Amino acid sequence: MTLDQLLADTRPALSQIYAEDLPELSQAKDWQSKYRILMLLGRKLPPIPEKMKQPSLLVKGCESRAWLMHYYNQHQDQHFFVLDSEARIVKGLMAIMLCLVNGMSNTELKKFELEHAFDKLNLKPYLSQSRGSGLNAMMASIKDCCR
Amino acid sequence: MHTFDPVNFRGQFEFFLQNPGWVYLDNAATMHKPRAVVSAVNDFYQRSNSNVHRGAHNLSQHATRLFEQARDDIAAFINAKERQQIIFCSGATAALNQIAYGLMHTVLQPGDRVLITALEHHANIVPWHLHCVRFGVQLDVVPLTNDYQVDQTAFAQLLEKKPKVVSFSHVSNVLGHVQPVAEMVQLAKNAGAITVIDGAQGIVHEKLDVQALDADFYVWSSHKLYGPTGTGVLYGKTALLEQLTPIYGGGEMISEVQFSHSLFNILPFRLEAGTPDIAGVIGMAAAVNWLQKFNIDEIKEYKAMLLKQFFSGLSQIPGLDILSSPVHNAGIVTLNVQGEHPADVAELLSQQAVAVRGGQHCAMPLFNQLKLAGAVRFSFAPYNTEADVATSLHALTQAVEILTA
Ligand SMILES: Cc1ncc(COP(=O)(O)O)c(C=O)c1O
Repeated sequence: MTLDQLLADTRPALSQIYAEDLPELSQAKDWQSKYRILMLLGRKLPPIPEKMKQPSLLVKGCESRAWLMHYYNQHQDQHFFVLDSEARIVKGLMAIMLCLVNGMSNTELKKFELEHAFDKLNLKPYLSQSRGSGLNAMMASIKDCCR
Repeated sequence: MHTFDPVNFRGQFEFFLQNPGWVYLDNAATMHKPRAVVSAVNDFYQRSNSNVHRGAHNLSQHATRLFEQARDDIAAFINAKERQQIIFCSGATAALNQIAYGLMHTVLQPGDRVLITALEHHANIVPWHLHCVRFGVQLDVVPLTNDYQVDQTAFAQLLEKKPKVVSFSHVSNVLGHVQPVAEMVQLAKNAGAITVIDGAQGIVHEKLDVQALDADFYVWSSHKLYGPTGTGVLYGKTALLEQLTPIYGGGEMISEVQFSHSLFNILPFRLEAGTPDIAGVIGMAAAVNWLQKFNIDEIKEYKAMLLKQFFSGLSQIPGLDILSSPVHNAGIVTLNVQGEHPADVAELLSQQAVAVRGGQHCAMPLFNQLKLAGAVRFSFAPYNTEADVATSLHALTQAVEILTA
């Protein structure tokens, strides 16, 4: 497995999540179904193989361990990411976040506001404090990739 | 003394009136405060606020009397011989730092050994690193048995290395296991060691008589004993307290200051630099005075009953790894859902208004040994109810169902 392959596998998963799962999530009636969907999202993102999980990829500040890999296409000015988390709900939430930022230009990524974006999708309740800490740390690491 | 009535007891806590929907099982992190404590703190600020031990004015004298009365109350609560043995500080962490710092170069020299156990909270590990190990003190660690108890055989063997200090927790904050403190203190004393007990989780569990226990130091945080955050107690034997180098220098703790040097004040003041948390200390004393209105053995029995119900309910839920043992347990149950991350379990419980803690509980070395990413901790207090037990079991069943669907 290489970063290229992971990136290639992640992109279609994200498009599917964006097109199919996010609408379903925002309409889910009870909390049980919401969490079932969230965990499904996490499962759709290809995992980073154990061997590739270098300590340098660890995102600091998460209660559970999470890893982030990044690729910047300079010609097209686009940022691409692969991420993984050992906690499934956190990974599901990170998948949503990734849907929103993957492929962004440098300027777009700099301007991106997670809270605002989640609000627009009716997902803001998911940004409660405990969950927020892991997500915010991941968001900060993603933003650190800006030039 | 009142006989213990669970409904009446819970009724003393405004928090539960304000938050009827929450099942609070994170008592090992911090406890709720009865009205008696909240109003003692309020009353102090509204009627008696003034600094202590300064100023000749009556207000200050009144505040000082309240503050020093708190010291007497706490001394009586643990049956300390002398009031100056009660040193107020910000909590267990501060007390352990003061002890580790204070013993270095007075009692501990490079090459000496300190013995702790494998289940200590970071507060009883890091201060030894920070203040002693980096000056050449060797830290030894008593391992655990397969059922996560402190290995008493290994403890006896490690004592043969003649540690100068033996420091361990009364009750494990991760597992809830109550250590055989009295026996361990005696063994350590026979080996010539100074004994330090981290009572952060232990003080709330059973009646403490420091003279009977005979440990050299015993420390705790008020917020885990129905009191305010930010205050706590360092109890010590007078001769040893006198040997501690103060970790803080400042006002109150000196008898004479010149620019070239200062002379330290007498106990307890030499270890209490600066303005203390006066309201907090008064609240802390209010908490123990309030608690003593109840029969501690009945409280213990009631908590044991809740714990038994909880364990029995857990045995009906498939796929759990339960780390805590039901025997000699102070009311803490730590577990994992097999194959699931504790953060996910805690999250799903929180979603159902059950407050627990998931993670490593400030005991990273313990979890490294257990080879676990963490665990979910349910910690009970006497204001919890049988309904709390039932609700949390139901919520855990739901969480398992969602996770393993
Ligand atoms: C066993 C033990 N020791 C020490 C501490 C530290 O207490 P504090 O943070 O109040 O200083 C705790 C708190 O979680 C604890 O459980």
